[in-house]
Amino acid sequence: MIEFDFGVVLAQWPMLAHGLVLTVALTLASAVLGTALGIACAWARLHGGRALRSATSAYVEAVRNTPFIIQLFFIFFGLPSLGIRLSVEVACVLAMVLNLGAYACEIVRAGLQATPKGQLEAAMSLALTPWQTFSRVVLPPALARIWPALVSQIIIVMLGSAVCGQISAEELSQAANLISSRTFRSFESYILVTLVYLALAMALRQCLNWVGPRFIFTSR
Amino acid sequence: MKFKLVSSLVSLVTTAVLTVATPAQADDSLNAVLAKKSIALGVASDFPPYGFMGPDFKLTGVDVATAQLIADKLGVKAEFVPVSTPNRIPYLQTKKIDLIVSALGKNPEREKVIDFTIAYAPFFQAVFGPKALNIKSFDDLAGKSIAVTRGTIQDDMLQKVAPPTLKIQRFEDDSTTVAAFISQQTQLLATGAAVAAAAVQKNPQVQAEYKLLLKDSPNFIGVRKGETALLTKVNEILRAAKADGTLEQYSQKWLGRGTGVLPE
Amino acid sequence: MVQFALWDILGFLVGAMRWTVLLSLIAFAGGGLMGLALLMLRFAKLPGVGTAVAWYVQLFQGTPLLMQLFLVYFGLALLGWDTSPMVAASLCLTLYASAYLTEIWRGCVMSIPQGQWEASSGLALTYAQQMRHVILPQAARVAIAPTVGFLVQVIKGTALASVIGFVELTKAGQMISNATYQPFMAYTLVGLMYFALCYPLSWWSQRLENRRLA
Repeated sequence: MIEFDFGVVLAQWPMLAHGLVLTVALTLASAVLGTALGIACAWARLHGGRALRSATSAYVEAVRNTPFIIQLFFIFFGLPSLGIRLSVEVACVLAMVLNLGAYACEIVRAGLQATPKGQLEAAMSLALTPWQTFSRVVLPPALARIWPALVSQIIIVMLGSAVCGQISAEELSQAANLISSRTFRSFESYILVTLVYLALAMALRQCLNWVGPRFIFTSR
Repeated sequence: MKFKLVSSLVSLVTTAVLTVATPAQADDSLNAVLAKKSIALGVASDFPPYGFMGPDFKLTGVDVATAQLIADKLGVKAEFVPVSTPNRIPYLQTKKIDLIVSALGKNPEREKVIDFTIAYAPFFQAVFGPKALNIKSFDDLAGKSIAVTRGTIQDDMLQKVAPPTLKIQRFEDDSTTVAAFISQQTQLLATGAAVAAAAVQKNPQVQAEYKLLLKDSPNFIGVRKGETALLTKVNEILRAAKADGTLEQYSQKWLGRGTGVLPE
Repeated sequence: MVQFALWDILGFLVGAMRWTVLLSLIAFAGGGLMGLALLMLRFAKLPGVGTAVAWYVQLFQGTPLLMQLFLVYFGLALLGWDTSPMVAASLCLTLYASAYLTEIWRGCVMSIPQGQWEASSGLALTYAQQMRHVILPQAARVAIAPTVGFLVQVIKGTALASVIGFVELTKAGQMISNATYQPFMAYTLVGLMYFALCYPLSWWSQRLENRRLA
């Protein structure tokens, strides 16, 4: 008869907490930087010169058509042969930022393209500079429009960060691995950590949906 | 909302467990192996010279050779299953493999969950690092970074003897650990001597050398708890191979050294 | 000691890529059938079933695919069924695909005007008939582009099967990287091969979407 022993796994909660903190930190850092990168790339694809548009498209297609684990391995194991050696955490954040950036670019671009013509005309007639038009008239409503899609993508990247344990980052999935090594209780460790991820995904969605309207695209 | 999900998941799992009858732990692996005429052997696929892929993309190495010997002596087909250190004990426990023949060391934690045969090949774990780095004792490890495979004897030893400021980076399998060291993502490497020797030979730019001994821990074969028939038979085969010099031959061929005195 | 020619490496990788393709097709087909069944259940107005499907979707969309793979793999073993990484990965990816596909298709069905439901029930069609003859054909038109797009996600998802030991393209890339000590070359080749698999599908999905909107 199989017996489950969650007790011995729960006793390792400090390791779990440590992993959770790192996952949250990685997610927040990459959410902020990745979204910024996405906005920059979306702008580049819409308003940039030919070279910039091609370069951005190439980047977006490269990231969206290859698995995240390969991007991560490339950055962590491959770049050192070019002399670029990044620490584990930096490699993780870089990979996550580049990953989110590519998807965010497309999401934000769709939001920007849906800007009503009237807004742009009104901004011009008010003699706003292009930067003012973009940052105050076009971007906030665009973000409001695509916020649910962007939040979903951030959560996808957060869940994808589980792979970072493969390059020894001590995030949540690695905590599951370490706990199962110590206790020899694989199934219990993974179930527990999966539930934590589920709770984290729900909490993150609530949090971002609360933050968005209040701080990112406040309607005046 | 969340609590309901948690509790319903837990009950779902428990119900699944209770409704599916599982056979009690029995001493029948040897009979099962002989009946189906094949034995599932967990070997390393990425850990030269113990278990690795040759240029013909077939598994080879001192562990693979010993595993093949056991299958031959039992008169059954050898089915090699690539395993890694973190997953080999779960694989054995869940009957995906019948024996672990992959540079397995013996320690008290592992003895609680599996049984061990006599030793069949030498293996010592050590810390390796660049010549330029001066490491004479464990205290010199302070503030450095070291790559090690999760759940290995080296992992255990480092936790016991290394200073807390040593950054221990744990990877999922031995080859990734070595890759991390070779790409200089970590300053040091803790692994088996022969493994490090093979890696260093292929990568002279790393200029690595042996620094500190972690443990002299020969290879044993792992057997599921309670499988006394299989354990006795494998020990019989190993003792015979020891007596007629086969184990010595394998050791010389793959490791370039004799077996030395192998404990029982 | 052991030298690998580039030709041998490519041959090995292409061999592994076949497994990636096979796993993707199994997951997509199996997931598609299951997703369709779940879709029918979702809109059937049976008590509690709709919520159950919603929870099922939430489970797969709110947890990492990596954890799902570990749980299916070790879970099946615990229940006494000895499975290979291939079988576990196929099962897990099928369930994963079914959850995502049913959600994508739900959105497509929701986009069909309520009038269609009302008119068809006015013609005394049963639920199954409504779905089969009125709703699904219209929803299918909307669904093609995102469904093809999701196939790309499935192909990328198969890369994680490497972590439970299945020798597909990613695992083969790791093995090459570790045997040759040339990670840059190995992962670049693997990346290009995934790109070759995924980009045509992404491009097609985009074209379908553009045509629908045009």
